[in-house]
Amino acid sequence: MNSHVKMTELQSTDLSRRSFLVGAAASGLMLGYSAMPDALAATAPANFEPSVWYAIAPDGLVTVTCGKADMGQHVASTMAQIICEELGAKWSDMRVSLASNDPKFNDPVLGAQITGGSWSTMMNFDAMSRAGAAGRIALADAAAASMGVPASELAVRDSMISHAKSKKQMSFAEIVKSGKATKTFTPDELKAIKLKTPDQYTMIGFSVPQLDIPDKTRGAAKYGIDVMLPGMAYGAIVTPPVRYGATVKSVDDSAAKKVPGFIKAVTLDDKTATTTGWVVAVANTYQNARKAAEALKITYDGGPNAKLSSESLFAEAKRLQALPDSGEFFVKNGDTAAAFGTTAKVMEAEYTTNINIHAPMEPMNATAEFKGDILHIYTGNQFATRSGAIAAGAAGIDPKYVVMHQMWLGGGFGRRLDADMTVPAVQAAKAVGKPVKVIYSRENDMTMDFSRPLTYQKVKAGLDGDGKLIALNHDVVSAWPTQRWGIPDFLSPSVDKKGPLDAFTVNGADFFYTVPNHNVRAIKNEMAHNATPSGQLRSVAPGWTFWAVESMVDEIAHAVGKDPAQYRIEMLDGKGDNAGGAQRLRNTLLAAMGLAGYGTKELAKGEGMGVACVSSQERKTASWTACVAHVAVAPSGEVTVKKLTVATDVGTQVNPDGIQAQVSGAALWGLSLALYEKATLKDGGIEQTNFDSYTPLRMSQLPEVAVSVIANGEHATGVGEPAVTVIAPAIGNAVFNAVGARVRSLPITAEAVKAAMKA
Amino acid sequence: MVTLNINGRNLSVEAANDSPLLWAIREQLQMTGTKFGCGAGLCGACTVHVNGEAVRSCQTAVGDVVGKKVTTIEGLSAKGDHPLQKAWVAEQVPQCGYCQSGQIMQAASLLAKNNNPTKEEIVAHMDGNLCRCMTYSRIQKAIMRAANEMRTAANSATERRAT
Ligand code: FES
Ligand code: FES
Repeated sequence: MNSHVKMTELQSTDLSRRSFLVGAAASGLMLGYSAMPDALAATAPANFEPSVWYAIAPDGLVTVTCGKADMGQHVASTMAQIICEELGAKWSDMRVSLASNDPKFNDPVLGAQITGGSWSTMMNFDAMSRAGAAGRIALADAAAASMGVPASELAVRDSMISHAKSKKQMSFAEIVKSGKATKTFTPDELKAIKLKTPDQYTMIGFSVPQLDIPDKTRGAAKYGIDVMLPGMAYGAIVTPPVRYGATVKSVDDSAAKKVPGFIKAVTLDDKTATTTGWVVAVANTYQNARKAAEALKITYDGGPNAKLSSESLFAEAKRLQALPDSGEFFVKNGDTAAAFGTTAKVMEAEYTTNINIHAPMEPMNATAEFKGDILHIYTGNQFATRSGAIAAGAAGIDPKYVVMHQMWLGGGFGRRLDADMTVPAVQAAKAVGKPVKVIYSRENDMTMDFSRPLTYQKVKAGLDGDGKLIALNHDVVSAWPTQRWGIPDFLSPSVDKKGPLDAFTVNGADFFYTVPNHNVRAIKNEMAHNATPSGQLRSVAPGWTFWAVESMVDEIAHAVGKDPAQYRIEMLDGKGDNAGGAQRLRNTLLAAMGLAGYGTKELAKGEGMGVACVSSQERKTASWTACVAHVAVAPSGEVTVKKLTVATDVGTQVNPDGIQAQVSGAALWGLSLALYEKATLKDGGIEQTNFDSYTPLRMSQLPEVAVSVIANGEHATGVGEPAVTVIAPAIGNAVFNAVGARVRSLPITAEAVKAAMKA
Repeated sequence: MVTLNINGRNLSVEAANDSPLLWAIREQLQMTGTKFGCGAGLCGACTVHVNGEAVRSCQTAVGDVVGKKVTTIEGLSAKGDHPLQKAWVAEQVPQCGYCQSGQIMQAASLLAKNNNPTKEEIVAHMDGNLCRCMTYSRIQKAIMRAANEMRTAANSATERRAT
């Protein structure tokens, strides 16, 4: 990262060293962790300035402040549900609000405000539970004192505290109004609180209605694009024909000046290097800003990437892969070189994926306002900590003077981890001396996406005389989306100590199959990295690594005459490091097979079932997920997906209906990426500009989707992403079983299937 | 200045006749329930009713709706309790929610004419509305549920008239 982006250091808010404070405030009761580590924390409620996690108003309404970006996964509601369980509030009394970027809302584990990797529920479960329990204890103590009964005899339910013997009861509202519920929990006291055991749950594990949904049926939820500030102007951006690296040579605004309400054309001077060659047309209304943008005559220097295409990026990837010393090792188990000397059979294959675009339904936007010393940014963002730093860099100020106002996200999928939208808003606001709302056109949004990178993978497998996989070399060549962030903490050391690597390009390749000799190399495609700055797209690396692994395992099984599902089960033997995980994955695969009726019936001609199983996202945070895809392939090569049967082991489920929604949404994303979504680079620019050429799944393409969630009481794992990654290989494998055509490139097109049928 | 009739109220807005209705509604009149998704008639996020017909407000000029009745999501029902809105909550349809105003407005124009649609009729009517969160099957279920409620209401109304 360049010197213009100063991140405030990632500080893990280590909650194990913080007190939990329950204090009376003018607005009711506030509950949260002390803003300072315990040794420094003032314990007197007079100095009460906790990181507010929730508050209880005098009318008894409980408002949970969520530091996570809510992009449709209902994470705010989930956090409220976890607190509600231990607090003993009535669900209809619960409300949610969104946090600003004050570090006090940082994720307790990650030390930053970032939402991704399906981490939220997993990492916050314990802290939220304890926060809820501490609130219940404080309320009960206060109630006990005013009732004159021992707190231990009180029951707390539905926002009501009651004493059975004396039939006395008090509502949360009454206790809050009394102002008596103040209490401080030391870290040890907090740790000593006995949380409920799963058999005592009345909220967790139940499909309570999501708190954000009613507003979203009335057009009342406020997204970034809905922000209105007094006196604000509008910005429409003009982006160059080249995705990255162009510079503006000249701007002729003579025609724009004739547009009524036109204020100014601002050429961005983006020292954060997030954008290149962008101009913002600022006007009094958005229509006029758009008109003015269209009227600007801009000449560009296309820069170093202006000639590049998807083909050149693939060619460069192949060249890099062929070099013996490319990249860094992510996995190096056993000795593949020696093992290949002993194998009875060697198989090699190349797997590719094309560029994919996030295209959330809400196009990128941001509103910036300078007020005194403070720069206010209003936008829906998944990574407030870094985005605030980018906005500050664009403004030329210290990040501590930036306040990020979180909004509901009209889709995230990883796109809103980036902060490009803040740059034109900040510089336009600065240039015209007014608040400015910048709204991307869909064309801006698609051509300037931080896309899922184009990937090239080479897999070489060695089998022994019994057909067992004993050696595997797996090379993954791509742009490095996470390295682009410039935050060393998000990179991983390579096992060969050659330097840090971007594990978000290879996660998943460290699977749970037992393969004694196994190498995985992460190779950075510098050309792609520069020409198509890539980002995190829902599920990131496992979206391509499992495409390769799960296709190759299938190819091997067929080559040695084994049932592909059975072949997987044999490799999921749980030996060594794979103990536990492998068995969970095996069970999930068996569940999906059973639910789909895999192998139990004769299918019609041209139809087939295929399996895949994955441990996405990261090895240590896996949600065990398997899919059986049932497809029909026409003689033209056209693939129709008849049914997707998905089983996923998520440990513990907080809201089963919400998990169903997330997993089936993720599975359909997987389908959309597998069959319908493809972006291409030509002359340095993304060719697809709107939903006529970039075509996500529509209702008429919807197959039957059956999702089975396995909740076996283990820790809760993420559910928003893993199912994305299992679908493409399952479909590819089903196509092979249906018509004998092996397709190794995503998306799977009718032409490719037809060509492979003939081959 | 143009005067538009939106949700039963006459409102004046400073907009050129040829400018899109979408921006006049959203940004100038600040009824932000109607969403911008593509600006090209390809996604349905901006769907509103003009004289009861679902139209894409990004493809409709302000000048073309003068003297007509425009209804947005904010005006679909007085209390957010149109059978579709209730069904959307019952089926827990929205994820990010951004497409849902358009989905509901599109569905409402179907049910206004046909309160007993088949699945095929629903798909044909709704296929122009993208949902990037892929809530399609819940949308189908919610439309079926709302249609059912509307039929029940219509039947009991007929029965009441008969007695
Ligand atoms: S915004 Fe009007 S159809 Fe997409
Ligand atoms: S709910 Fe997110 S786009 Fe439809």
